[in-house]
Amino acid sequence: MLNTALSSFGAQVVLATSSDENHPPESMIDGNTETFWLSTGMFPQEFIIRFPDNMKISVISVHSFNVKRLRIEKSTQTDAEKFEVIAEKEFEQTEGNLQTNEISLDGSNATHLKFLILSGYDHFVSVHKVGIQA
Amino acid sequence: MVKLRARCILVGDAAVGKSALSQMFSSDGSHIQKNYSMTAGVELLVKSVNIPETSDSVELYIFDSAGRETFVETCEKMWGQPSVVCVVFEISSLDSFKSCSRWLERVRAHCNGLQLPGVLVGNKSDLASRREVETSVAQEWAQEQGLQYHETSAKEMENCDAPFLSLAQAFYALYQDRRQMIQRLG
Ligand SMILES: Nc1nc2c(ncn2[C@@H]2O[C@H](COP(=O)(O)OP(=O)(O)O)[C@@H](O)[C@H]2O)c(=O)[nH]1
Ligand SMILES: [Mg+2]
Repeated sequence: MLNTALSSFGAQVVLATSSDENHPPESMIDGNTETFWLSTGMFPQEFIIRFPDNMKISVISVHSFNVKRLRIEKSTQTDAEKFEVIAEKEFEQTEGNLQTNEISLDGSNATHLKFLILSGYDHFVSVHKVGIQA
Repeated sequence: MVKLRARCILVGDAAVGKSALSQMFSSDGSHIQKNYSMTAGVELLVKSVNIPETSDSVELYIFDSAGRETFVETCEKMWGQPSVVCVVFEISSLDSFKSCSRWLERVRAHCNGLQLPGVLVGNKSDLASRREVETSVAQEWAQEQGLQYHETSAKEMENCDAPFLSLAQAFYALYQDRRQMIQRLG
C-alpha cells in the first residue's frame, strides 16, 4: 500500500501553507513522484492529510527534496484538531535524487496526519509523495 | 499564480535611515517618519511586491533591526533563517559604509550556508554635498559581495521601492531556478 496513491482511497490534503498552482498539494497524494508540492518560502511549512476513516498506520513513507527537519502529528478526531506528535526526524540531504524516508509507527489509528517541515536545506523544499502502510 | 514569502533582514548602523526607508516602502511613500526615534528591538513590516509581467508576487516580511550594538542580540534571535538581506549605509558617512561587511557577515552567519540574495543601499542621496562614499566605490564592493546596489533618499522619497523590488525579483529568480531543478529530479 506504500505505493498506492493515497487519493485513490479517499485521502485529501485539507491544508497546505504554500501554494503554487503548478504544484498543488494534491501532487503529494497522487502516487506519482514526478508531480510535487513546492513550498514558496520561509519555515515552518505545514500540510494536513485527512483520511476518509480512522486509519491504522504502521509506516509513513515520504519522497521529498531538501527537507531537513520534519515533525509528524496525528489526530483521531472527525475534525482536524487535537493533534499529538508521533514522530520527528531529520532527513539527510541528497543531491541529484529525491530523499526517500520511511517512518515506522506503532500501528496506531489516525483520521488526520499533520506534517510540519521545520527547516530545509534550501529556501524551498518539495514533497513528491506521501504513502502509508497499515 | 504563485505567492512567495521572504524573510527580509534589514541591517546597517544606527541612524542611516533603515526605518525611514522601510516605512517609505511599505506605505507607498504616503508617510514619512519625521521624528527620529531609535528602534528598540525589531519591527516587522509586511508588504507584497508584484513581479513585473507575471501574475506572481513576493510577500516581504521585513525585519527592521535596531542598529545600536546593545540591541543587536535581541534582533538576531528574531531573524530565524533569512531569505534575503538589505544592508543600508548613508552616503554621507564613510563609517556607516565600512560597517556594511560586518553587518552582512552577521546575517550570513544565520543562513546555514544557504544562498542569500541581497541588496546594498546607499541612503540619504539628497545629502550629495556631504557625500563621503562615491557611487563607484559602493558599487564595486556590492558587486564583490554579489549584492545589487541602489541609492535612495527616504527624505525626498527617491527610489525607495527599488531595493525591495530588486530583492523580490532575486528571490523569485531563485524560486524559478529551484523549481526547474526539482522538476528534473522527479
Ligand atoms: N537627509 C536625509 N535624512 C534621512 C533620510 N532617511 C532618514 N533620514 C533621517 O535620518 C535619521 C535616522 O533615520 P532612521 O530611519 O530612524 O534610521 P535607522 O536607525 O537606520 O532606522 C532620521 O532623523 C531621519 O529623518 C534621507 O534619505 N535623507
Ligand atoms: Mg530604525
